[in-house]
Amino acid sequence: MLKVNQLDKTYGQDKHSLKSVSFTAQPGEVTAIIGPSGAGKTTILRSVNQLIRDDGGQILLDDQDIRQANKAELRKIRHHIGMIFQNYNLISPLTALENVLHGRLGAKSTLAGMFGLYSTAEKTEALALLTEVGLKDYAYQRCDQLSGGQQQRVGIARALMQHPKMILCDEPIASLDPKSTKIVMDILRQLAREKQLIILINLHQIDIAMDYADHIVGINDGAIVFEGPTEQVNEAVLQKIYRQSADAKVKVAANES
Amino acid sequence: MKAKYSSPQQFFRQRRMRLTVVLVILLLIYFGSVLLVNFNTFSSLAQIPAGLVWLFKTFIPNQHTTTYLGPIFYQLWRTLIVSISSTICAALLSLIFAVLGAKTTSPNRVLQLTVRFGASLLRNIPVVAWAMILLFSFKQSDFTGFLALFFMTLGYLTRAFTETIEDLDTEKLHALQAVGANYFQCVFCGVLPEAASTMTSWVLYMIENNIRDATLVGILTGTGIGFLFNQYFKSIRYDAAGLIVLLIAALVIVLELTSTQIRRAIA
Repeated sequence: MLKVNQLDKTYGQDKHSLKSVSFTAQPGEVTAIIGPSGAGKTTILRSVNQLIRDDGGQILLDDQDIRQANKAELRKIRHHIGMIFQNYNLISPLTALENVLHGRLGAKSTLAGMFGLYSTAEKTEALALLTEVGLKDYAYQRCDQLSGGQQQRVGIARALMQHPKMILCDEPIASLDPKSTKIVMDILRQLAREKQLIILINLHQIDIAMDYADHIVGINDGAIVFEGPTEQVNEAVLQKIYRQSADAKVKVAANES
Repeated sequence: MKAKYSSPQQFFRQRRMRLTVVLVILLLIYFGSVLLVNFNTFSSLAQIPAGLVWLFKTFIPNQHTTTYLGPIFYQLWRTLIVSISSTICAALLSLIFAVLGAKTTSPNRVLQLTVRFGASLLRNIPVVAWAMILLFSFKQSDFTGFLALFFMTLGYLTRAFTETIEDLDTEKLHALQAVGANYFQCVFCGVLPEAASTMTSWVLYMIENNIRDATLVGILTGTGIGFLFNQYFKSIRYDAAGLIVLLIAALVIVLELTSTQIRRAIA
């Protein structure tokens, strides 16, 4: 279980900050963080694996506080937290297979990682994961020759290679077409159900969040304004989450139609 | 800038006026400098055809020139080797410096500034000055030529590699950090593969460039094709000197074509 307690973050002079953010995310569930642009969704997600250093609070993954970890411990914790991004962030001149194998870097010695010395078992597993996300035929293709949806699936395979307890997804479908969106979201939900992973997703598409998430965390201007099961999200809740923001009305309108 | 224009016509009128002013200023500078150095444009232009005719008559290789081909090819070969080896040695060192000096991968700010300052110092000393300085310590030898090219290339490539690394998307490195990769793994598995093709282009460009510079350096260090050119030139064997110029140009063109092929193959 992921438990975030009273997380605080200030960027220089009162820029987007987090104000005492607390929420939980359960294994086997898809938890979606929704909110207007600039509300702090990315900051929250990136604090969870400490890509962004926050100012105070607690982030407990299975009762271990990631904020207290030293460098070596942090590396070990990160090894079990997968992450996928809006822009996939694969190393584009490398093949899909090599990118998936990068998921092992956190567990390897410095030298073995640097020079890409992977065991046969690791290579077999990487290929199996690519097969699982439907990309067996693309294993030896350079990643910059793959479509967006395919790259995102390579990203998911890389995350799975980490044997994760949790996968963080930073706007995973913002650059994808509807068909790829469905493929990627289906895979993520399936992973939560079958492997009992914690899936934590930043989304700005409310309709997708309503379709796929079990648990919704609503954030506005750095503060949590709603947390609860997806069934409890209604018009009033959405108004609260998206209040006083430029794109609020558009978002709500889009959701109604 | 938020300038207010009453109409599009006024905007374009103002833009035309600004252009005219710039042209007038350029012309004034030209005539001013012509007066200063007593340069006569028209009589100088008139001399160009005669000069070209003389150039072609004396420097065009003739049948007799082919006897020089042996030594010329030998020195051309040595020059090529020195250029390539100095570039490759400099490239390997630049790679390390660039990783230490690039904002995105530098482990330490002092180191970053030192590398940048050092590279800019090496780069901004002209290769001719390098050759003359090194001449005192290392005498007239191929090694002096090698070092002169090496230092300048080191400065250039460190700068070019640093910028290549800084242009990379840092998000990709964040992705590797998120996986649990440490600093060296991020550099080797992320930065280097991403930057490799641009860096190779730079190395190939520097090899071409160093062949041209090697000629000049050779004149000073008394080695390679530059020395041979100087020797033939001073002993009034202009046809042989002309042949050298043609062969250097041919070599550089061949290298350019080859490197285009290499670049295409690795892209």
